[in-house]
Amino acid sequence: MADLLIFGVLWVVFSVLGELGVSAWGHNFYYYTASTQALDGLSASVFLFRFLTPIFVFVVLMLIFIPLRARRRSRDSVVRGKGARFNATYVTIWVTLSLAVNLLFFVHPTTSAAEQMFKEMSPQAEQHDLVVDVVARQWQWFFSYPQYGIQNALNANGNNVLYLPVNRPVEFVLRSYDPNHPYAVGLDVIHSFWIPAFGEKMDVIPGETRYMVATPTKIASTETNPEVRVQCAEVCGPGHPYMYATVHIVSDAAFKQWVKQQLKAGN
Amino acid sequence: MSVARIGDAPLPLRKKQIMPPVIRGLLWAGIGFLVVNCLVAYLLDPQYGDPFITQPSVVFGWIAATAGWLLGIGGLENVLLPSFGITVTYPEATGWRRYFAYSTNHKVIGIQYLVSSTGGFFIAGLAAMLMRIQLMGDHMWFFPYAGQYIETVGIHGTIMMFSVGTVALVGGLGNYLIPMMIGSNSSAFPRMSALSVWLVPAGIMTVILSPLLGEWTTGWRGYEPLAQNDPNGILFYYLGVLALTLSSLMVSLNLTTTILFKRAKGLTWNRLPMYAWGILAVSLLNIIWLPEIEITFILAVLDRVVPLPFFTAVGSPITYLELFWLFGHPEVYIIVVPAFAIWMEIMPVMARKPLFAREWGIIGLIFVMMLSGFVWAHHMFTNMRLTEMLPFSFFTEMISIPTGFAYMVVIGTLWRSRFRMTVPSLFVLMSMFNFLIGGMTGVFLADPVINLQLHDTFFVVAHFHFTIIGGMVFTWLAAMYYWLPKFSGRMYNSKMGVLGAIWVFIGFDGAFSLMFIQGLRGMNRWVPVYPPYLQGINIVISIFAFILGLGFLFNLIHIAWAMKSGKKVQENPWQSKTLEWQTTSPPAEESFAAAPVVTGSFYDYEDDDESFSIPTTPGPVSM
Repeated sequence: MADLLIFGVLWVVFSVLGELGVSAWGHNFYYYTASTQALDGLSASVFLFRFLTPIFVFVVLMLIFIPLRARRRSRDSVVRGKGARFNATYVTIWVTLSLAVNLLFFVHPTTSAAEQMFKEMSPQAEQHDLVVDVVARQWQWFFSYPQYGIQNALNANGNNVLYLPVNRPVEFVLRSYDPNHPYAVGLDVIHSFWIPAFGEKMDVIPGETRYMVATPTKIASTETNPEVRVQCAEVCGPGHPYMYATVHIVSDAAFKQWVKQQLKAGN
Repeated sequence: MSVARIGDAPLPLRKKQIMPPVIRGLLWAGIGFLVVNCLVAYLLDPQYGDPFITQPSVVFGWIAATAGWLLGIGGLENVLLPSFGITVTYPEATGWRRYFAYSTNHKVIGIQYLVSSTGGFFIAGLAAMLMRIQLMGDHMWFFPYAGQYIETVGIHGTIMMFSVGTVALVGGLGNYLIPMMIGSNSSAFPRMSALSVWLVPAGIMTVILSPLLGEWTTGWRGYEPLAQNDPNGILFYYLGVLALTLSSLMVSLNLTTTILFKRAKGLTWNRLPMYAWGILAVSLLNIIWLPEIEITFILAVLDRVVPLPFFTAVGSPITYLELFWLFGHPEVYIIVVPAFAIWMEIMPVMARKPLFAREWGIIGLIFVMMLSGFVWAHHMFTNMRLTEMLPFSFFTEMISIPTGFAYMVVIGTLWRSRFRMTVPSLFVLMSMFNFLIGGMTGVFLADPVINLQLHDTFFVVAHFHFTIIGGMVFTWLAAMYYWLPKFSGRMYNSKMGVLGAIWVFIGFDGAFSLMFIQGLRGMNRWVPVYPPYLQGINIVISIFAFILGLGFLFNLIHIAWAMKSGKKVQENPWQSKTLEWQTTSPPAEESFAAAPVVTGSFYDYEDDDESFSIPTTPGPVSM
């Protein structure tokens, strides 16, 4: 009984400390968030942290506490442990709770956050989105803006660049082929379109078209935070580490200005 | 030898000296490769410019080399010729030489598997050290080309998964211990087992030699269509994995049959040791899923060599991914299920208490085995349709329930026990702690919305190293220390053992817990070059990784030293009741002089039989 009491007190104390830690630092789980999708993922993560903390504390405390309490004190060779070979209460609580916690996690945040994502990606939600056609090849990202007639967005150095207006939903249309060798259909491989600050990535698969939706929430760029960059996340050959592009999230006015400049440059 | 050979009695026997089997195997492998390779490259399928190596020639040459290796090692005299009724006898190898020869003794085979696995572990570990050296800089500085780094990642992963993760606890400890644990003097198919073990070094060598054919850059998963576009080294990845998985498949057929049919009298299913349950569960997983990946790899080889368009842009790249992970996720349970079983094997002995809720432990193992076939696509949230996500998310979250039963059983066993804090128990506790972190982070990865951010980052790398090193390698070390007196009749040095445990724990947890943070900060996988803001944390991780590498080396040296010149101990130093401890340590050629009879539970410490006696000569054991 004393064991149980001491353990219970320790469990509550450490769980409370853990929860305070989650409150203080949980929102740093995604280091830098620049889209609503990243914020959705972050709040789902914080919810999971809240529930997992007492469970984690329980098991770790058990793994440390019991061996210390129960450690054999004498060097008798015939000692036997006391205690039952089965305890219906303990097993029932364990099984019920693990089932309940997992069902809860499946309902929220798993399904609820996924439904939110499905909704954002549904055709009805994509009425006034900015459409960016993304083409991946070994090893380069091409960005074109069909609504504005920009065929291949480039910066002053001739590198591919992605410009996005803040607070406007963007639909990325993802394809993998080599625009320079369009006749060679077997040429390209799977890539993964990832902007770390947007909290999501989507694989770009040869022969298929995939979509990713994001709503940028902050004015930022690769120069201000390197997590705002396009990075290929799926290994795609020896050029994989070099397959990145700079990203600029700008104000609406600055975006219009940039579009004009791109069109003037004939991109 | 308990195995009757075909034609044992009537034929007159010719005695014949053969050269050392390993040398002969290598020679025959070399001859086989040259003959068949030249036959294909120059006569059957000559290609423009008459290259010495072509894709078809190297595949057929490899098959001939593997056959030559298996025949040379002893398959000729012991398997092939007897099949035709010809008996050849030659002096059996003795002493250390028998570990380098064909042997039907399950204990010799177990050690052969363990040594091969350990070799693979340190070779792949060296590859990891090279990776960590490169990652200390944010630009190419150690490897000349990025492809060489990515290939090193692939070799590390392939050897670790297929020659260590799935082999050490099953082919190694399983072959050695399972027949003894169920009271049998041999496994069910000793000749198949004697040959299958030699596929492991063949597979490891194949993967290590793959750079000769060109840098393959797919990592251990061989993703299509990249594999089709890569240089030919990928062929040796497919063939090496084929050899390694064939070996594991044969182990599983052998051990399943052994457990089903060779149990001692009285060893009912209710009394079957937990480790035997674990091996049974993992063997069923192997028997279901290894043929699946082998067929997939054969398709991939045909895709390149014929060539066919199965997995290219005009075929379906996603199909390969599905087929790979259909095997790939059960694979990780192939790795940890025996580890769960070893926790439940060691802990009641150390706690001097009956195994708590034994049935629930078994239910856990079996349900993990069954559910593991329903979760594969959680590796593919980034490339599947939205509507397909939730079922896989559901089963992925649910599989934590039967996994948790292993914790429930161990914690219940420890509660109010007389726990002995020994080196094996320390390693098991560390393993449970590390696997817990692996499991908890898995909850985040199972959630599609969070997964889309964490997938393919170092968060995932940290997660699966916590489950595999944390779950399996720490348990492997626990098992090596626990059964060391069994293997050798000697004991490790406690202080050195504790030092080794703390050493690898610090190295491991330091390196891999930082990888979670690194992944969250935007470090993706398979990159030798990364943005400069990640360099600081990479240097710290590398330093911990070097500490970890040295820690493993320290444990290896300590275990090897203890086996050779550790302090001699009594035959059952842990006072365990399972049958393998009721034989002499180290066990005699025939483990049991007479078949043991089991009359009670192996995990019962509550009876009056407080200081049960160990028979000085192995005889019928009754409990």
